[in-house]
Amino acid sequence: MVPTPEPIRAQIPIASDADVMLARQKGRELAAFLGLAAGDLTLVATAISEVARNIVQYARPGEIELRTITEGGRRGLMIVARDSGPGIADVTLAMQDGYSTSRGMGLGLPGSRRLMDAFEIQSEVGKGTVVTMIKWER
Amino acid sequence: MAAPPTRPPEKFLTIAEMMNISDAEARRRMEMLEFGHDDEARLRAVSDLAERYATDVIDAIYRHLLHFPEMQAFFPTRELLERVKGQQREYFLRLTQGNYDMGYVENRLSIGAIHERINLPMKFYLAMYNFYLREVGNRLMDEYRDDPKQALETLLSLMKLTFFDMELAIDTYIDARERTIRALQQEAIRELSTPVLPFRQGMLLLPIIGQIDSPRARQLTEHLLESIRTNRAKVVVIDITGVATVDSRVANHLVQTIDAARLMGAHVIVSGISPVIALTMVTLGIDLGRVVTVGDMQSGIERAESLLQEAGDEGEGPAEA
Amino acid sequence: MQVPILKQGPYLIASIQGALTDADLMQLRENLVQAVRRHRSRGVVIDVTVLDVMDSFAARTLRSIATMTRLLGARTVIVGIQPEIAFSMVQLGLTLEDTLTSLDLEDGLAMLKAAERGRDADGPHS
Repeated sequence: MVPTPEPIRAQIPIASDADVMLARQKGRELAAFLGLAAGDLTLVATAISEVARNIVQYARPGEIELRTITEGGRRGLMIVARDSGPGIADVTLAMQDGYSTSRGMGLGLPGSRRLMDAFEIQSEVGKGTVVTMIKWER
Repeated sequence: MAAPPTRPPEKFLTIAEMMNISDAEARRRMEMLEFGHDDEARLRAVSDLAERYATDVIDAIYRHLLHFPEMQAFFPTRELLERVKGQQREYFLRLTQGNYDMGYVENRLSIGAIHERINLPMKFYLAMYNFYLREVGNRLMDEYRDDPKQALETLLSLMKLTFFDMELAIDTYIDARERTIRALQQEAIRELSTPVLPFRQGMLLLPIIGQIDSPRARQLTEHLLESIRTNRAKVVVIDITGVATVDSRVANHLVQTIDAARLMGAHVIVSGISPVIALTMVTLGIDLGRVVTVGDMQSGIERAESLLQEAGDEGEGPAEA
Repeated sequence: MQVPILKQGPYLIASIQGALTDADLMQLRENLVQAVRRHRSRGVVIDVTVLDVMDSFAARTLRSIATMTRLLGARTVIVGIQPEIAFSMVQLGLTLEDTLTSLDLEDGLAMLKAAERGRDADGPHS
């Protein structure tokens, strides 16, 4: 029986503090394995930390899935944060990015979007939320 | 920096794809090694035998290799050694199970990648394969003592397949080296194109000239922050005299750079803000906060000097975030 | 993971050793506040050199440590924020407003000493 190649993909259940840490460490590892720029590893870990924390705080349990992907010849790390929590009623509001006017407060989702190259969020009240983020190699 | 995508791509990336080893490439390699159906059949025929001798062979390999202190370093605990031996066993049994398809390739590549990441030397790898072939050769001679030709042919088939494996292992090492080189090159280019000048002890000068787009802004910021660390800079003079246009994006990059520099304990002085740019920034609602702004680079340097002197040049003085 | 807190004269030094969970951070706050009270410390240096990620929770907690210790008469300096961490913090809008920051432990202690000498202004230093 051929074991599934280990490094390419990871699925981390998120229900506690400790899971948040595990997810971001794994994210960092996978990003490093993929060959993403050294300066981007922390961004990846930070973004994972933010979305994973949201799950723990508002919508546990959930999961973080990490996948390596490709598009047009370049490689990237895709991070999918899923939960079946209460969902976000007004996604536009939650994603409002007022960096210059609200410095210092920590913006969570919009902040995570700024850390990553691509970002998509889908949420339905009562059903849950899926946040998809991608960091490409430079 | 982050543009919302239309739909994220769904395609998984296998290691083989990452390394550009296609199905066609794998077949070509098999052709060159002249590995065909007969070889596969011979190997499958000894898979029971392999089950029987696997543990002994693995034990023998490790007994041999662990004589070498540099190898011992990889196995600090008994548990780790046992676990690795177990994985090794799986690895070698796979050699006689047939189906040498892309799944097989993917499996071999992933193992090679893990070995490369822990810096397992190539000589260990090759010595291991070599030992394995010799051990198995002897056992095949025993098993087929009435038919030495069969023993030899089976061994040759095994040899072809292990060469296929070794090629894949070597590929993973080469791939990793190439990625490292690329990263270093990018780093070098970045340093060259975003000059951060250590003006004097504790002071950095960053004259920005031309357009600032997002990638460049990123490079500038990264380089500046690294320089603050290496030079233990207390003050940074960012001169934007030469910046073509300051729109909200450029202004935001600037603000972010300033904020990040402060987090590392460095004061920032921005020089070269013309009245026009000043007006633009006010209109855009950009608040540089407590950043000192001066007209030209010379004033910026003078201001920086006085700041440093005030602080006694000894690492004292506030750099409030 | 418990963060060790060392006393150096009137100052306390907390060196974060690695990745911290939310619970660890809150414990650190608790421990620092107690220690400041117990030793009547006048300054606290929190060294985050080895911290792997500074996310919004960590930043908020550090700021609250600064606020709380200030109420007890001690100033807090965060030191050792690394370039990639500084960059990601800024992307997340975590600028640690109103909190002192310095490059490293040495500079952080110097800053506390200078602050005590009354040279530090409450407002902008320019």
